[in-house]
Amino acid sequence: MSGPRRHQASERLAQRGANRSAFGAFGTVRLACLIALFALVLAACGGEDPTAGGGASQPAVGSEGPQSAATGGGDLEGDPIRVGVSLPLTGDFSEPGKGIQNGYDTWATMVNEAGGLLDRPVEMVYRDDGSDPNRVISDYEQLITSEEVDMVLGPFSSRLVLAAADVAERNDMLFIEPAGAAPEIFEQGFENLFYAAPAVADTHYDYLFEYIMALPEGERPQTVAYAVLDDPFAQGTANGLKVQLEEAGFETVADEVYPPEQTDFAAIAARVADTDADLFVGGTQFEDSVGLIRAFQELGYQPRMAAFSTGPTLPQFSEAVGGASEGILSPVGYSAQADLPGNAEFVAKYQEMFDGEPGEDPANGYTAGQILAAAIEAVGCADATPECQQQLIDHIRGAEIETIVGTLSWDEAGRPQGAHMIQQWLDGRIEIVLPDTEVKTADLVYPKPEW
Amino acid sequence: MPSPSLLLQGLALGILTGGVYALLAAGLTLYFGVMRVVQIAHPAFLFLGAYLTYFLFTVVGVDPLLSIVVTVPLFFVLGMAIQRYLISRLRSDSLTMMSVLLTFALALLIEGSLGVVASGSFRSITVDYATRSFQLGTVRLPNDRLIGFAVATVTLLVLFAILRYSRYGQALRATIQHPEAARLLGIDTDRISAVGFGLGLATAAVGGAVLALITTFFPAAHWGWIARLMAIIVVGGLGSVSGAALAAVMLGVIEALVLVTLDATWAALVFYAFLFLTLVFRPHGFFGGRLAGRF
Repeated sequence: MSGPRRHQASERLAQRGANRSAFGAFGTVRLACLIALFALVLAACGGEDPTAGGGASQPAVGSEGPQSAATGGGDLEGDPIRVGVSLPLTGDFSEPGKGIQNGYDTWATMVNEAGGLLDRPVEMVYRDDGSDPNRVISDYEQLITSEEVDMVLGPFSSRLVLAAADVAERNDMLFIEPAGAAPEIFEQGFENLFYAAPAVADTHYDYLFEYIMALPEGERPQTVAYAVLDDPFAQGTANGLKVQLEEAGFETVADEVYPPEQTDFAAIAARVADTDADLFVGGTQFEDSVGLIRAFQELGYQPRMAAFSTGPTLPQFSEAVGGASEGILSPVGYSAQADLPGNAEFVAKYQEMFDGEPGEDPANGYTAGQILAAAIEAVGCADATPECQQQLIDHIRGAEIETIVGTLSWDEAGRPQGAHMIQQWLDGRIEIVLPDTEVKTADLVYPKPEW
Repeated sequence: MPSPSLLLQGLALGILTGGVYALLAAGLTLYFGVMRVVQIAHPAFLFLGAYLTYFLFTVVGVDPLLSIVVTVPLFFVLGMAIQRYLISRLRSDSLTMMSVLLTFALALLIEGSLGVVASGSFRSITVDYATRSFQLGTVRLPNDRLIGFAVATVTLLVLFAILRYSRYGQALRATIQHPEAARLLGIDTDRISAVGFGLGLATAAVGGAVLALITTFFPAAHWGWIARLMAIIVVGGLGSVSGAALAAVMLGVIEALVLVTLDATWAALVFYAFLFLTLVFRPHGFFGGRLAGRF
């Protein structure tokens, strides 16, 4: 019975209390400002997410292996060749970072089992940069100056590669990197840098462009829509195709750019769907490709051809889009099935050490190791002196090196001179559809089935 | 200039998304309203909820919407425990500031644990009914957004009813308005606070299920939501559930309209622009009025 009365009284008391300063106007303003300040600080901290990465790699290869693989070579004589690497083993890029590490470890193990380099075992020295470009700088400084490693190899993602390459350059160290494809990296005037993959971002779609141009005029897509993540790598891939298509007279009907923190793709998709473009090109990583495709499905937009930078290159893609992957195209730099020298051995060793088939990240890590090994064996030195490092750099500059992603050579800025293949999801599997050579595993399907 | 049909489409998407924002921000309003606690970890709990939903779906086969039968009670108890054993230990004169640090640590703990258990891979739930849409003239209403909006509406109505009409709600409001007076009148304010925190976290369980249905997620995904949700509760007037809901829908609509007329980079600014304008011109928020004076 006394309940309601009690509450009325409390409300009256509370009304008076509310006028006091503790919860009064001034307190509110201060609290609101405080919250706003924290919100902004956190927004700045949280600005990086896995989608913000660059490189020929993806945020989430589902491979999980031992943190540091045994690199064998215990029975080898001689001082080890110590190879220093900083990788994002924690934080936003930790998945691809581990992928690269697995590739490096596979390489070191295989080298040591085959007798080492110059009769010396290879020893990997890892630092964890926590996906932070500032830490990657101090990591490489320390690896070179206090750890005194003999060689360095690169980290993951265009953003971290950019920071790390500068340190290597200042210390006259050779810098082979497995995951920095953004055009900016090759415009800094680095003289020691080489990218260990077939091609840089803006040439990834070259084969697709050739395919489109080879279609009879009436069958070609007429209008093109782009939706691109604001990231050097993603923009590089999509813009590379856009420049070529626009020069050839294709009409760009939508050109959307979204920030890395974008999680809602419905409205962006609505703009693209409103144009009903024949060809859709997504400069995507992973979750944005999934978000866009789902939104397109909901909006009933059916392009005749659809290409996404990364995302479709990951095995979990098909499941993530609920089977709507059929006919989707992507540039890809590595295929575990490719009949290239050494690839079968790499895949076998990788599967022995880790779970599953190697994706692009481990393959690129392994490729970086292959290039380093080829140079060391050709030149006959493996130490951190500027003389030895310069000899290695000069050798790679003029060399053609056989790797598991094909035979690689580089221009003055370290751009590899190859081309990416084009893959397509067909019957729930990834098939290589371009170029039309022995690497091809299926014919390109165009127009694509509805999603 | 975008076509009228595109504008309508943007408006519809904005309203539906705004409803989801309201659900996601509801807990924050409650913690702040009840205890002056700034819960930085709320988005982390949202994604913890999303992961639980994901694993219930992939391992046990429970529909994402049914999974809240399990996650809501779990989060409610968890919320009570966090208030009872962690938050209540903070000194009351520095509670707001210290709660930021405490819940920041909770957010890091959750993110790290999710990383260990679920790895950094992107996850998503795809159910057949969620990728279709409902057509209304030229406008298409995606099913997943419709479901999210409906769940948000029901949850917020239930929450509002509890706060407005139940005995507990009256005691809670008394506690908010003047804890000492409430105690004098025999209200067990510690218990009321714990239940308030539990309710807040229970909304995170529902929000997590909705997030799992409409978006892809990974352990660090919560950082991107903290600032947006904080902006919503400031614009809505700190501590007001209905104010936050109105602010959420308003910001959702403006964001979507900017998206379809300008671009995504400008749309990302909407929340911060309104946060800024609110602090300059109406620090009490546009909808809330007196701090915590009403719901």
